[in-house]
Amino acid sequence: MIELKNISKVVRSGAEDLTILDNVSLSIADGEFVAITGASGSGKSTLLGLIAGLDAPSSGGIFIDGDEVTKMSEDALASLRSGKIGFVFQSFHLIPSLTAFENVMIPMEILGLRDARARAERLLTDVDLTNRGHHYPTELSGGEQQRIAIARAFANNPKILLADEPTGNLDSKNGQHIFDLMTELHRQNNVTLVLVTHDQGLADKAQRQIRLKDGRVLSDDKN
Amino acid sequence: MSFIFNLTFREIRSSWRRLLFFFLCIAIGVGSVVALRSLIQNLSQAVGGDTRALMTADFQISSTSDFSPTDIQKIEEIVGKSTIVEARNEAITSAAMARPVDETSETLSFVELKGIEPPFPLVGEFTTSDGKPFDFKLLENGGAVVSPLLLDDLKVKIGDRIKISDGTFEIRATFSEEPGGASGFRLGPRVFIEKKAFDSAGITTSGGRVRRLILYRTSDNPTELVKSLRDNLKGSTLTVQSYRETQENLGEQFTRTENYLSLTGLLILVLGGVGVWNVARVFVEQKRRSVAVLKCLGASGTRIIAVYLLQILTLGLLGSFFGIFLAQCFLWFTKYRFADALPASLAYTVNLSVAWQGILLGVLISLLFSALPLLQVRNIKPRLLLHDASGEKMRRLDLPRAVIGAVSIVGLLALAAWQAGSLKVGAFFLVGLGLTSLFLYVAAVVLTKILRNARNFGSFSIAQAVNSLYRPGNQTRIILLAVGLGAFVVLAVQSLQANLVREFDFTRNQTLPSLFIVDIQKSQIDELARILEEKTGEAAQTLPTVRARIAYVNGQPIDYQNRETRQQQGQIGREFAVTYRANLDKNETVLDGEWWTEDADVPRVSIEEEMANRLKVAVGDSLTFDISGRKITAQIANVRKLDLRNTRTAFIFVFAPGVLEKAPQTFAANVIKKLPETERQRLQRNLIDRFPNVQIFDVADIVEAFQKLVNNFVLAISFVGSFVILSGMLILIGSIALTKSQRIYENAILKTLGARRLTLTSILFAEYGLLGILAGVIGAVFATALSFAVSKYIFEIEWQFDFGLTLLGILVTAVLVTIVGALASFDVLFRKPLATLRSQ
Repeated sequence: MIELKNISKVVRSGAEDLTILDNVSLSIADGEFVAITGASGSGKSTLLGLIAGLDAPSSGGIFIDGDEVTKMSEDALASLRSGKIGFVFQSFHLIPSLTAFENVMIPMEILGLRDARARAERLLTDVDLTNRGHHYPTELSGGEQQRIAIARAFANNPKILLADEPTGNLDSKNGQHIFDLMTELHRQNNVTLVLVTHDQGLADKAQRQIRLKDGRVLSDDKN
Repeated sequence: MSFIFNLTFREIRSSWRRLLFFFLCIAIGVGSVVALRSLIQNLSQAVGGDTRALMTADFQISSTSDFSPTDIQKIEEIVGKSTIVEARNEAITSAAMARPVDETSETLSFVELKGIEPPFPLVGEFTTSDGKPFDFKLLENGGAVVSPLLLDDLKVKIGDRIKISDGTFEIRATFSEEPGGASGFRLGPRVFIEKKAFDSAGITTSGGRVRRLILYRTSDNPTELVKSLRDNLKGSTLTVQSYRETQENLGEQFTRTENYLSLTGLLILVLGGVGVWNVARVFVEQKRRSVAVLKCLGASGTRIIAVYLLQILTLGLLGSFFGIFLAQCFLWFTKYRFADALPASLAYTVNLSVAWQGILLGVLISLLFSALPLLQVRNIKPRLLLHDASGEKMRRLDLPRAVIGAVSIVGLLALAAWQAGSLKVGAFFLVGLGLTSLFLYVAAVVLTKILRNARNFGSFSIAQAVNSLYRPGNQTRIILLAVGLGAFVVLAVQSLQANLVREFDFTRNQTLPSLFIVDIQKSQIDELARILEEKTGEAAQTLPTVRARIAYVNGQPIDYQNRETRQQQGQIGREFAVTYRANLDKNETVLDGEWWTEDADVPRVSIEEEMANRLKVAVGDSLTFDISGRKITAQIANVRKLDLRNTRTAFIFVFAPGVLEKAPQTFAANVIKKLPETERQRLQRNLIDRFPNVQIFDVADIVEAFQKLVNNFVLAISFVGSFVILSGMLILIGSIALTKSQRIYENAILKTLGARRLTLTSILFAEYGLLGILAGVIGAVFATALSFAVSKYIFEIEWQFDFGLTLLGILVTAVLVTIVGALASFDVLFRKPLATLRSQ
């Protein structure tokens, strides 16, 4: 269960304060597939980042399974992400110095899992990249990089998968493939999936759609 | 934990090229420390390690005059009571001139003559060149065993006969290693003859510099016996010395040298540290995104720091090992290049303890210099993956940063103190280095500021090159500091050398004599003067010399039990050549007291400034001299300063007339006229044939030896200086590698905008050319200042600005930086712009 209570995020922009999120409250149930949409600058990515504890809100509280994320230290946040959250970025963010296979293993190694290797192999099979494991990110296409990022996001069996425009840098064919992969894994593992997207077509396939405008929730509808 | 190890391994695997500079910086630094320390320790081992063999005895009693019957009696009495004395022998040493019997040969050589008696040696080994143990029979009936060098000098071979003074000797063998052979400065090759042949050759009677030795081998530590002998012989001119004291003195000197050399090594290592700091700083900057990803995936800041720390440790360790390998290569090179000039028993391997020290130093320097940059990892937030936070402000007051900074400085101080063997010297070193770096850095800042204006005047390439030097994340000042420091060291040494060599240039300095003749008997002086005048056309300058030793200072015998005094025994206890005259020489100035103008009732003496300081005496004090057993007490009338540059003679003690005229004396004469080498040799040979007992010093040889010494010294420092330059170059290459992506991007844009490869190449050359010129100018300015200060205030010699050298220094630096810089960035020119621009 993800709960956001009166979340605001204000940043300093030059001499002025810029409100990115303005008193947002919402809750997302376990296993739910939610799409967050809105124009550029509406606060979608910031909201996702706050849920993952990548940044702290200016005010309000965020709770995951009852634990208040906003009060956690950097290290506690890190272990929260390690245990419960998977994240997929628009620009993949694979570690360039590691091979695809090693990128997938990293979250499991951080947790100290013993079967990291076998599990990483399975995950690579799941995303259909068994033969590309020894390649470095720069040697992979955008679609392949994102499939590796998804395999990495699922590595620790997260309860929550947060995806920030995962198809934004891909052509439509690759984009559809990535979307199918995520929803498939969501169904198989009963993962809470929060997807930030510009693509209305993808958003329509979610169970619930939250629209943001100027940092506020414009609508929150079940599809 | 496995996460930390796995990631460390993977990071090294993928980033090793970028970190190669880190590795090399440490390797060069550790290599310098280990090489210098090993060399000096091995040298200490070879020269001083077996001082017993060096002395060829456990203790010795030496005298510059015959042992008096009273002295012998006292010695026998004390030694006779001792139960530890196992064996005894006597020896006589003296410098002499040797020449082949063959009259047609014009060769002549100084030799260090040693008359020995069996059993010899009491301690140590003595083998001849053919590998057989030395047999005393080789010396019997006019035999000589000589250093192979003499065969070359005199162009003779085994079986030939040579003349030394009035004696004739047959060369029966040469030796590969003589007992006590490694000791310092030699006037000429060693020649062994029978002790009794010394007398028959007339060497002992001619008043030359003869040293008589009684040597003893003991079964146990001779310290007590030596002390008792010294107590009983107090006031006499005899010197008692045990091998242990020699060892102690030598050991101290070597330790001091080793510590100073280690500081030089540490300087290179600290420069390596600057390289490490630079690499670590930019490395962390480049890894920001990866760190953010790792944090996003759940790794804590501490674990990520642990990964990078482990990486640094691994590289520091590997770099240190490679450094030890480099040190070994250096020692092999030393053997290959300098083995002839170094003791034969010198080992050319890295010492194990020094190697461990080097590893520890390498790892510590790696940690100390990368700790601060690594700490930045803490401040990298995972949110930068959502929006770049590079513009975020750092916290001003960062306690851990301040603490780590302080720890680094204290750590560095501890390392410097450890290497210098003294906290004070270590602190001076660090402060000195800090100040020098500060000055160089300020100079770099000022010069780059000035240069910034230059872009408005130059061509497109120059303007772009200047812009490149101000590229965000540029390393310009660090490079200027590092390369400038290297240029500074090398140029300063070269400039000093030029001034020193100029000062002692035999052909320029008209006041130096060309030949110096000593030990001329009273009966020989007139004839010798006549010959000199006939051959050179100038009136010979002759002056009387009397050999004297200091017996008492203000009525008190010199206390050699006192450690400090004993260390100066060589300077105080030796036999001095003193003279007497009415006038002050041209090269002398009276510092205190007055030069004698009229007769006085008491004997008066003038003392040279440094000796006065050494003896802690002043005008009015009394000195008692032992002159051939007679004691003469004189009052110090004045203290003189000698200008050694214009010296014809350099007497430490000069007596007023009326005291020494009756004392046994010899004469010295000098030839001022500059004679061509062949004429000089012929004249020397003529004189020695006529007066075999005299000794002739060819000043040209001495000057040549001095120049050789200066050159070797300069070679050694320049060698170290070139390491400093090398460190600078590594920092340069490292910086280029670190800012390469920006350079590639800039080039891609310029290419898109229509810049041709030639234009880009000229920008590249202009950039590094400018950088090199700036570094060269900084180095040259500071080198000139240092060379001036050292010449003027330390060496007290005339200083001249060497324009050619300075220009050459700047040029070489500029060319070096341009070549290294261009080579390291050349591939940038060949990248296709589209791929670069798309990846941004």
